[in-house]
Amino acid sequence: MQTLDLVSNLHETQSRVLAPVATLIGVERTYARGRLAVPALRGVDIELVPGELVALTGPSGCGKSTLLNILAAVDRADGGSVLVSGQDLCTASESQLTLLRRRSIGVVFQDFQLMPNLTAYENVALPLALDGRTDSVRVLELLSRVGLAQRGSHYPSELSGGEQQRVAVARALVHRPELVVADEPTGNLDSASGRHVLDLLMDLRREEGAALVLATHDRMVAARADRELRLLDGRIASPEA
Amino acid sequence: MTVLGVAIGVAAVVSTLLASRAAVASMTGDVASIAGAARLEVTRPGGIAMADIELLRPVCDEALLVPIIEGTALVPEMGELVRILGVDLLVDSQARSIELSAPDLQAARDELLFGNGAAMASSLAGQLSLQPGDDLELVVRSRKTSLEVVATFEPERFGSAWERVLLVDVAVAQELLARTGRIDRIELVPRGAAATQDELQALAARTAAQLPEGYRVAPSSARRDEGTRMVRALEFNLTALAGVSVLVGIVLVATTLATSIVQRRAQIALLRSLGASRAQLTGAVLIEAATIGLVGGVVGVLLGWVGASAAVGSVSTTVSTIAEGVIPGRINMDLRWALLGIALGLLAAMLAAILPLREALRTPPLQGLRSEHAESVTRRSFRSRLFALALLLGAAIVFVNLPPLEDRPIWAMMAVLCLLGTLLVLSGPLIDLFSGIRPSFAQTGVGVPLRLAQAALEAGRTRAAWAAAAVGVAVALAVSMTTMVGSFRQSVVDWTNQAMPSDLFLRPLAADSGGLAGRIDPEVVKIAREQIGSENVDPFYQSKAYFRNSPILLAGAAFAVVAREGGVPFLDGRPSTVAFGAALESGEVVVNEPFAQRFDVERGDLLELETPGGSIHRRVGGIYRDYSGHTGRVVLDLADFFSFYPDEGPQSVSIFVDKDVASARSALAGALAGRFEVELLDNREVRAEVLTVFERTFGVTIALQLISSVVAAIAVVAVLTALIHERRRELAVVRVLGGSRRQLFGLVLGEALLLGLAGATGGLIIGLSAGYVLVAVVNLQSFGWTLQFLMPTSLWGTLLSVIPACLLAGIFPAFLALRATPRESLHASS
Repeated sequence: MQTLDLVSNLHETQSRVLAPVATLIGVERTYARGRLAVPALRGVDIELVPGELVALTGPSGCGKSTLLNILAAVDRADGGSVLVSGQDLCTASESQLTLLRRRSIGVVFQDFQLMPNLTAYENVALPLALDGRTDSVRVLELLSRVGLAQRGSHYPSELSGGEQQRVAVARALVHRPELVVADEPTGNLDSASGRHVLDLLMDLRREEGAALVLATHDRMVAARADRELRLLDGRIASPEA
Repeated sequence: MTVLGVAIGVAAVVSTLLASRAAVASMTGDVASIAGAARLEVTRPGGIAMADIELLRPVCDEALLVPIIEGTALVPEMGELVRILGVDLLVDSQARSIELSAPDLQAARDELLFGNGAAMASSLAGQLSLQPGDDLELVVRSRKTSLEVVATFEPERFGSAWERVLLVDVAVAQELLARTGRIDRIELVPRGAAATQDELQALAARTAAQLPEGYRVAPSSARRDEGTRMVRALEFNLTALAGVSVLVGIVLVATTLATSIVQRRAQIALLRSLGASRAQLTGAVLIEAATIGLVGGVVGVLLGWVGASAAVGSVSTTVSTIAEGVIPGRINMDLRWALLGIALGLLAAMLAAILPLREALRTPPLQGLRSEHAESVTRRSFRSRLFALALLLGAAIVFVNLPPLEDRPIWAMMAVLCLLGTLLVLSGPLIDLFSGIRPSFAQTGVGVPLRLAQAALEAGRTRAAWAAAAVGVAVALAVSMTTMVGSFRQSVVDWTNQAMPSDLFLRPLAADSGGLAGRIDPEVVKIAREQIGSENVDPFYQSKAYFRNSPILLAGAAFAVVAREGGVPFLDGRPSTVAFGAALESGEVVVNEPFAQRFDVERGDLLELETPGGSIHRRVGGIYRDYSGHTGRVVLDLADFFSFYPDEGPQSVSIFVDKDVASARSALAGALAGRFEVELLDNREVRAEVLTVFERTFGVTIALQLISSVVAAIAVVAVLTALIHERRRELAVVRVLGGSRRQLFGLVLGEALLLGLAGATGGLIIGLSAGYVLVAVVNLQSFGWTLQFLMPTSLWGTLLSVIPACLLAGIFPAFLALRATPRESLHASS
C-alpha cells in the first residue's frame, strides 16, 4: 500500500514537472456500419506523461483499439482534440502524421506483425530506415537488450512467438519514441513468454523514458501499470485498483 | 482481368487464323468456289491455244469443256484489285449456276456474249455506285480501259471470292489481257451423275491421251493445294506467333488463379479442417479455371473476329509478298472457328490450373496455417530445375536439326517453344538472383522500398516467378522478333542495294494492299528502248513452268545488261556481272535460293523444265539470293525465254541511264503519259518502296508481338495487384511504423522493377537464342532464305522499354496499395 502511495506521489510530481506526451480532450469517434452509426468513443479525456505506464482495460468492443489507433496516429477522431508530441492530430496533414508515427510513436501488435521476409535485425532497423537513418549500434544494443543478439540474422519464421514479440518490442523502441502503444502484447503468448515480454517492455520504457499505453484483458498485467484506465461503452469509467 | 488475359490470347490466335485464312482463301478456297462443278482441268505452261479445245472432242460426250481465262485488273476508284474471269457464257451456265440480274436479261446476255459488257457482284457494284448500263473504269496491263456493267449477280451464293470478280466473255478477256487466241485452262465438268474417283481418273487418262506433250490434266483441287502449299509456312508461322500470346495468357491465368487461391488460404484451410478432400478441392479449382477459360474463350472469339477484320488487309499484304495475285477475301466466322477459340480458352485455363491446384492442395488444415514458413528453394527442387533445363535445351537442339514437315518448320518452332519453356524454369532462380542482391537500409530513398520489394517477392516467390516468366516470354518474343526482323531488314537493304542498281524502274500500278495490277504492256518496253536505248533497258518477264512436276516461275531477263550493270548477289560470292556474263556465254540459267533449297539443286546441275515449247534442258550457272518471294524461280536470258513464251508484257523494267536521270525520267514519263498507267520510280524511290513493303509485310508480326506484350503487362498488373491484396496488412504495418505514401509507392514499383529485371534478363538470353533459330532455321525452312544474323540497335530500345513498361504496369497496383488508410488495412485483414 505504501509502495502504491509512493508511485502515486511520483506520478503527481511527474505530472507537475513534465510536459505531457499526449493530451486527449473530449475525443469522439463514430463508425458507420451500414446505415447505422456506431459510436466507439464518446468524449474521452486522457493525459499521458513521459515514462508512465497506463493500462487500458475494458470488455471487448469498449473502444480500446480505437483509442490506441487514435493515439498511434493511425486513425483520426471525429470530435475533441488530440495532441501527441505537441502535434494536433485533428488538423495534421497526412505527411505530418506519417512523420509523427515515424519519429515519435512506437507500436507493438498482439500478433507481432513482423515482416516475414526481413531478418530480425532488419525488422528492428526498419523504423530507422524508413526515416532514412542507420544506427547499427542502437539496433544491436536493443537486440541484445531483448536477448536476441545472436538471432539478428534469423527470419521471423525461425523464431518462437515470444522471440518474435521481443523483436517487435525492440522495433517499437529503436527510434526512441516518446509514446509506445501496445495492443494486447502478451495476448498471443504463453504465460512465461508473456511475463518476459512485459518485463522487457516495462524495463525498456523506464530506461528510454517513453510513455507506454497498453491495452489488456489480463488483470496481472493491468496491476503492474502506473495507472489503469477502464473503458466502458466508449467512456472512461472509474479507475480500478 | 484474368478473363481479359485469356480473351486477348484467344483473340490473337482467332484473328490471325481468320485473317490469314481470308487472305489465303482468294488463292485456295476460292479456286474451288470459282471452279464450280468442274472436277478436272487441262493446263499448259504459257496457256492453251483456243483451237486446242478441238483436240478434246473425243471426250465431249463424257464431259462438258469449259474454257477459262483469268487475270487481274486495278479499279482506280477503289485502289483495289479485281479478278477478270473470262468464260464462254453459252457453256459456262452448266458449270457455274450464275444467276444474272439485269433490267433486260436477254439484252444483258447478248451484250456479255457479243459486246464489251461485264457482270459483277451486286455488292461490288453497290460499293462503286454502279448500275447496269454504267461504265466501270479499269487499269489492265498498264492501260486505262472501261467495261460496261450489263448485269449483276449475288456473290453470297458462291462464296466471298465472287465479290471481287468481273465476269466477261472469253474474247473480251483475251483482248483485255492481250492473250488473243489463248486461254488459261479448260475445265472439265463430268456429264450425268456425280463421277466417282475412279471414273475421274479414267476420264483424266482419256483426256491426257488426246493431248500432245506439255499439257497437264489434273483435278481442279490441285491448284488449290499448290496455293495452300505456298502460304502454308506463312500461315503456320503467324499462327505460332499468335500462339505465344496464348502461352503468355496461360501464365497470366496461372499466376492470378494461384494468387486468388493464396488469398483464400484461410477459407481453404477451414474447408480442409472441416473435412474437404483433395478431390473436392481439385474440383473446385478446375471449375473456377473452366469458367475463366469459357468466358475468356467466348470474349476472345468476339474480339478475334473484330481483330481479324482489321488485320485482313495487313495479312493479305504479307501473303501477296509471298505469293502474287492475292485479292483480300471477306472474314467468315463460322461455328468451327468459334468452337476452336472457346476450346483454346478452356485448354489454356485448364493448363494454367496446375499451379493454383498445387497451391490449394498444399494449404494445410486451419490448425497448421500459422506455423507455415516462407517459400524457399530446396536442394531437390534445384536439381529438378537443372534436369528440366537440360531436357528443354537438349530437345531444342534436337528439334532445330530436324527437317521441315510438309514445308512447315514445325520442329524448329517446337525448338523455339522449348526455349521459351526454359523461362518457366529459369524465372525462379532469376527472382532469387535479383532478390539476393540486397541493398542496405543505409541507402536511403531507394534502399528501403527496394529491400521491402525483394522481401515481398520472396514471400510470393512461386507466383512472382510465373509473372517474371510471363514478362520473360513477352521480352523473349520481342527480342527474337526484333532480331529476326532486324536481321531480315538489313539483309533486304543490302540485297536491294546490290540487286537494284538501275537508275529508273517501271512497274504496273499497285493496289492499296500492295498487289500489282498484272503486267506492263509490251509497247511500254518498246518506247523505253527508243527513248533510252535497247542496251540500257532490262525488262523482267515471268511465266509459269514445271520442274519435277511442281509449278515454278520461269523468268526472262536481259543477261547482257545485267552482266554489264550488275544485279542480284550470288551465294558463291561471285560478282553478278561475272555470273551473268558466264551464264550468257554458256547458255546457262540462274536460279534463286528458294528454288535451290526446295529442289536441292546446286550450281552445275542440269535442269529439265517443262515450258510451252516442251521440255528443255538447261544447266544451273549460279544461285542468287532472292528476298522478293519464296517461289522457286529459274531465270533465262531474254532471247532464250522468248523462244518458248509469247510476249505478254514484262512484270517490271529496269532502266540504266548514262547521264541525267531526272531529264531521262521526265522524257520517258512524257512519252508514256496519257497512254499507259505505270509507275516510274528512281533508284531511291525503289529502295524506299522495298522497305515500305517490308515494313508492311511485318506489320502483322509486330502487332502480334505487341499483343503478347500487352498480355504480359496484364500479368504483371494482375500479380502485383494480387500480391498487394495478399499483403495489405504488411503494407499497413509499414505505414504504422512511419512508412510514407511515397515509400509505399516505391515499394510496389520496386516489385514491378524486380519482376521486369528478372523477366528482361531471361527474355534477353532466350530471345536471342530463339531469334537465331528464327533467322537461321525457320526462315530457311519456310521460305528458302538465308539471312545474316544481326543484333539490331533497335534491340536495345526493346529491352530498355521493358523496365518502363513494368513500372507502368506497377502504377495501378501501387495506387491500390495507397488507397486504404493504415487503420482500414489493419481492420480489413484482422
